[in-house]
Amino acid sequence: MPATRPIYLDHHATTPVDPRVVEEMLPYFTEHFGNAASRQHAFGWKADEAVERARHQVARLIGARAKEIVFTSGATEANTLAIRGALAARRDRGAHVVTVATEHKAVLDVCQAVAADGGRVTVVPVARDGRVDPARVAAALAPDTVLVSVMTANNEIGVIHPVAEVSTVCRARGVWLHTDGVQAAGHVPFDVEALGVDLASFSAHKMYGPKGVGALYVRRAPKVTLVPQTVGGGQEQGLRAGTLNVPGIVGFGAAAAIARDLIASEGPRVAVLRDRLLAGLQRALAAVTVNGSLTARLPHNLHVSFAGVDGEALMTGLADDVAVSSGSACASGSREPSHVMTALGAGAVERWGALRFGLGRGTTAADIDAAVTHVAACVTRLRAMSPVAVGGGL
Amino acid sequence: MAAAYSEAVRMRCREPRRAGGWPDGAAHVGTGATGSLAAGAWTTLQVHGTGGVIDDARFRVFGCSAAVASASFVADALVGATPGGVRALDARAVAEALALPEDKYAMAAMAVEAARAAVDDWQTRAEGR
Repeated sequence: MPATRPIYLDHHATTPVDPRVVEEMLPYFTEHFGNAASRQHAFGWKADEAVERARHQVARLIGARAKEIVFTSGATEANTLAIRGALAARRDRGAHVVTVATEHKAVLDVCQAVAADGGRVTVVPVARDGRVDPARVAAALAPDTVLVSVMTANNEIGVIHPVAEVSTVCRARGVWLHTDGVQAAGHVPFDVEALGVDLASFSAHKMYGPKGVGALYVRRAPKVTLVPQTVGGGQEQGLRAGTLNVPGIVGFGAAAAIARDLIASEGPRVAVLRDRLLAGLQRALAAVTVNGSLTARLPHNLHVSFAGVDGEALMTGLADDVAVSSGSACASGSREPSHVMTALGAGAVERWGALRFGLGRGTTAADIDAAVTHVAACVTRLRAMSPVAVGGGL
Repeated sequence: MAAAYSEAVRMRCREPRRAGGWPDGAAHVGTGATGSLAAGAWTTLQVHGTGGVIDDARFRVFGCSAAVASASFVADALVGATPGGVRALDARAVAEALALPEDKYAMAAMAVEAARAAVDDWQTRAEGR
C-alpha cells in the first residue's frame, strides 16, 4: 500500500482520534447532552453513568480503582493539581519539591512557579542515557520534601525512567511520588501499584482519544490528600470544580479501553518499525546518533541527531513529506536548544541536529521506508550547504 | 516552528539557490562569516567578481529555515551589486521580503552581516593584488 503524504511520525505531539472513540462520543454531544452533575433527572443520570463507566475504563488501564481517577482538562492541569495541590496539603511538612531536569515544561514551569512563591525546588540531573539515578533522587530528599515528580517516559527522547526504584526511595522517607505518565500510558504497561506512585497524570489525546481531557490518579490507600486548585462546584470529589466534559471523558474511557486491548500487540509491532527506521537511516547516512538509552525507551520513539544539520531546518524541509518534530526552538536570534538535550550533556552538533520520530498505530513499513528516503535526501541536501564538517564539527 | 514560515522561506529551503562555495583562497573571491555552531546559527557568504561588480555569490548555512532562506535571498541579491549596494542592504527589508516571523529577523541580519564581511574581504584581497 503506498504511503500517504505527509507521513505522520509525530505521535508524541498528538494522536488521531480512533474512529471507534468518535462513535462512542457522538451521542453525548446530542441526545445524551446532560450535565453529569444533574442528579435529579434522566439526562443527568445518563451523563453521570457514562462518566463513571469511563472512570472505570481509565482506572483499568493503569491498575487503579475508579475512585482514584479525577478527570481534568488535560495533563497540564493534572500536573498542576498534583504538585500545587500536594504542597498546599502538606504545608506542615514543608515546601520542597524534587524533580528531574528533563521533565516536560508542564512540570518544570509549575515547579518554577512554586519556587517563585517561596517554595524550594531541587532539579536532579540525568545520566548521559537520559535516565535519572534513584540514588540522586534519594540524595536530594530532605525533611521538608513533600513531593518528587519524575515522568514515566520522556516526551522528546522517549527514555523510560526507573520510577519503581524512585518510589522505593520516596516511600522510605514518607515522600509522595508523582509521575507524568502522559507518554507511557496506553503505549507500554503502566500500573500504579507496580510503579508505586501516589499521583499520576494522563492525557487522552496521546492515546488516540480527544484533546481537552485528561486525568489525575490520586492514591486512596494510603490516602493522598490534595488541596483543589479550582473551586466552585465541588465536582470530582471536590478536587476539580467545573462542569464535566462528558463527551471528552467518554472518549477518554473508550480510548483507554482500546489501548488496553492493543498494548501487548502494538508495542512490539511499532518497536520493529522503529528499529527498521533507525537501521534505514544509519544505512543511508553517516553520523546519525541516537539520543538517550535505546533499551529503556518507548517502543514508538526514535530520537536521533544528524551531524552538520539543524533539526528545525530539517523539519521544515521535510514538511511536505514527513511530519516530525524538532526539540529546539529559537527566538530573537538567541537560539534555545531543547532543555532535554542540554540535560543529556549533548554537544552542539547533537543538540542542534536532533529530530524526534513518533510512530503510531497507523504507521506501516512502507511509511518507514518512504520516511527514510525523504529524510536521507533532506539531510544530504542540508549537509551539502552546511559549513559544519560531518563527523568533525568545527 | 515550521508552520509560521512563508512559502518564500519554504521554497528557499526546498531549493536553496546559490548554496555552496569556492575553496579558500580562490581568485576573485571574498568570504564573510557570522555566528557559530555553538550558538546554533552560522552563515558564510562568498562573493566573486572582477572590476568592482559581483558576478556570483554562494552561501553555506548551519541553522534554522529562516537562516537558510535569508542567506539564499541575500546571495541572490548580491549578484550584480557593487560594494556600495551591498553595504546599503537592509536586513529588515530582507526579513520582510521573506515574511519572516519577527523573532527570526536576526537571521536576516546575520546574512546581511556576512555579506558585508564578504565584500570587505573581497575588496581587501583585490587591493592587495
